[in-house]
Amino acid sequence: MASSGSGYDLSSSTFSPDGRIFQIEYASKAVENAGTALGLRCRDGIVLCVEKPLVHKMLVSETTGRRIHTVDSHSGVAITGFVSDGRQIVGRARDEAANYLETYGTTIPPEVLTSRISSYVHYFTLHGALRPFGASTLVAAYDPGTKEHSLHMVEPSGVSYEYYGCSAGRGRQSARTEMEKLAINPKQGEGELIDVQEAVKQLAKIIYTLYDESKDKPFELEMSWLCEGSGWRHEGVPKDVIASAVEWAKKEIEEAEEEDDDEMEE
Amino acid sequence: MFRNQYDTDVTVWSPEGRLLQVEYAMESVKQGSACIALRSSTHAVIGALKRSVSELSSHQQKILQIDDHLGIGIAGLTADARTLAKWMRNECLNHKYVYGTALPSGRLANDLADRHQRTTQTYVRRPYGVGLLLAAFDRNGPHVYQTCPSGNIYECYGTAIGARSQSGRTYLEKHADSFGTCGREELIMHAVRALVGCVGGDGELTVENGSVAVVGKDEKFTLIEGEELQPYLDRLEMEGGNNGGGGDAEGDGGDDMET
Amino acid sequence: MSLSLQAGGSATRALSSTAPSATTSHTTSPITTGTSVLAIKYRSGVLLAADTLVSYGSMAKYKNARRLLPINSSTLIGGSGEYSDLQSVTELLKRNALEDRCTADSLYNEESNEECAKEVWSYLRAVMYNRRSKMNPLWNDLVVAGFKKNEDGTISDEPFLGLVDKIGTAYEDDILATGFGSYIALPLMREKYRPDMEEGEARALLEDCLRILFYRDCRALNRVQIAKVTRDGKCLVSEPYELDTYWDFKGFVNSKAGLGTDGGW
Repeated sequence: MASSGSGYDLSSSTFSPDGRIFQIEYASKAVENAGTALGLRCRDGIVLCVEKPLVHKMLVSETTGRRIHTVDSHSGVAITGFVSDGRQIVGRARDEAANYLETYGTTIPPEVLTSRISSYVHYFTLHGALRPFGASTLVAAYDPGTKEHSLHMVEPSGVSYEYYGCSAGRGRQSARTEMEKLAINPKQGEGELIDVQEAVKQLAKIIYTLYDESKDKPFELEMSWLCEGSGWRHEGVPKDVIASAVEWAKKEIEEAEEEDDDEMEE
Repeated sequence: MFRNQYDTDVTVWSPEGRLLQVEYAMESVKQGSACIALRSSTHAVIGALKRSVSELSSHQQKILQIDDHLGIGIAGLTADARTLAKWMRNECLNHKYVYGTALPSGRLANDLADRHQRTTQTYVRRPYGVGLLLAAFDRNGPHVYQTCPSGNIYECYGTAIGARSQSGRTYLEKHADSFGTCGREELIMHAVRALVGCVGGDGELTVENGSVAVVGKDEKFTLIEGEELQPYLDRLEMEGGNNGGGGDAEGDGGDDMET
Repeated sequence: MSLSLQAGGSATRALSSTAPSATTSHTTSPITTGTSVLAIKYRSGVLLAADTLVSYGSMAKYKNARRLLPINSSTLIGGSGEYSDLQSVTELLKRNALEDRCTADSLYNEESNEECAKEVWSYLRAVMYNRRSKMNPLWNDLVVAGFKKNEDGTISDEPFLGLVDKIGTAYEDDILATGFGSYIALPLMREKYRPDMEEGEARALLEDCLRILFYRDCRALNRVQIAKVTRDGKCLVSEPYELDTYWDFKGFVNSKAGLGTDGGW
């Protein structure tokens, strides 16, 4: 790597001669090596989905290394990267939401929540005495004022965008390609957009498509939604729904593989 | 000469996206003597090996009580653990004063992990060089948590940290399925057997170097040391199993930085 | 500017010169107030009652103010005293409740860390005592109702009813009343109370007490709310409704300082 050894990459308060801040790029690397996190905005809500690696056999998986957290009654986030960094962001997000409610008496709107998180994350890219967060944050939120739901993602640089579908972590690129095939973008006008039930299945399929049993660590799927059906509250997708989605996904993948094999034979 | 430039400050990311100073702090956990913990559906047990610096000195303290319902076992820099223990005791007392009840262990464990994390993101403080095993019994039942200098936290049915803890962990993994229904005594025996595996070379688990603590339903956090440990060692002797792990000399225990 | 670390240096002088005028005082008397809250345990839970009046001094200013409030899934509070302080306390408790939900160990068990009524009561005691010790009290008497938790975290069969006052005094009882109600209603409730009262019976008793309070307490109203916590049904707060009143009692009709009386009824 050209940056290495130049001396311009040792602090986030240092620009390189060509105007880059390498420390932020390195922090992003930490996210790129982590479990895949996906977010999908559907017709009737948002689904968050994270691949949570299980580091050893004796873990209580429901409470350990959680990557999806509730922030407020109408918002939740999924994080990936350094989970311990992510928890810090989650804590800040909760404070922001609670303070907004205290000050203005209404639930924090999604874009305000996102921009507050962005500012916080960005602050850590400005100082030599701090380091950028090694975590990306997917923000699913509902605005009871406008009755709109939206999905945002905040990156380690502090940059954030709104998405129909977004991904972070190891499988982000292939996942994006897969998500682009789904009917989630109203601009493409592919008729009816998918609903959260369908999204849960599709996201499970994407995660399992990317997973290589021989190479990757065993993992658990963590999923949450925020939708009409949940009264626009952020809650865990019921375990039986996840289980049947996984079952469906595995079958789909198997069938696709068989088809491939058949084609090869022909 | 190539020297790794990225490993002297906690606030510097390496080009691969690693935090080397934090990883080094994790190494110091592996230097400490072994500590194991496990739980059933009614009890949680910590076991630890205590070192002494010389024949003339006392053995170190490896298990610290935090509150009636909660205690920790430590591996790594013990002085760092004392600071954390003091803070944890304070948290428990505050909760008891304000709410009149025991602090839920999950909350304390998470706050503890966040405390670890914060040291990894600011220049002014080094990470804590200590791994903690937390054993607790609260209103959600028994719990075992493991924290790392990185700020990672795991809730486990059983786990082991410190030097030569790998064999202890292997023992626990092998028997983990049976822990759920274990009674108090049987759970302590599992702890003792796991500990034996962590004893180095031709050493033995004795009343001096062994230390066990138990907490559970209708039982406050209790240390079992010295003579009180003898019956368990006798039972171990009967089973014919008190020789150190020996062959498994390679120390391990801390987890890799999980991303 | 140089600061000296020695005793009597500029820093010390700067402090000592401002110290005498640095004393502040806070509000120690209420402005907009709600009157009594009544509470009683009955066979399957706890009932709370209060009227909906908030007075501004002796003026009956707001007639639809709710003073019985659920603050989490199984705890109710009722408050008398300064209404703005009550709102502030409620917001604080709701914020805590939300935080407890968010920080639960598992996504699937967000109630696991919820405070039970006894913890809320204990917490309020700490808050009220802390504030009064700073000579900056929250001017409320608060009643907390709910169920105790078992040691394993499940909700027990044992109802909880506790009171915290504006100086941090806290106690539990089977029947409670704040404000004027502690003089007028409490003796009546003591007389009629039985641990195995049916809901209707307890409710009738509370309504009687509220009616009597309306007759005798100049800061009371006959527009009231009743709330209950039950083990299964959790919290229920009624909409405000009006109590029937009867003003033709002889004592009422021939009131005032008639000739030959001492000026009372």
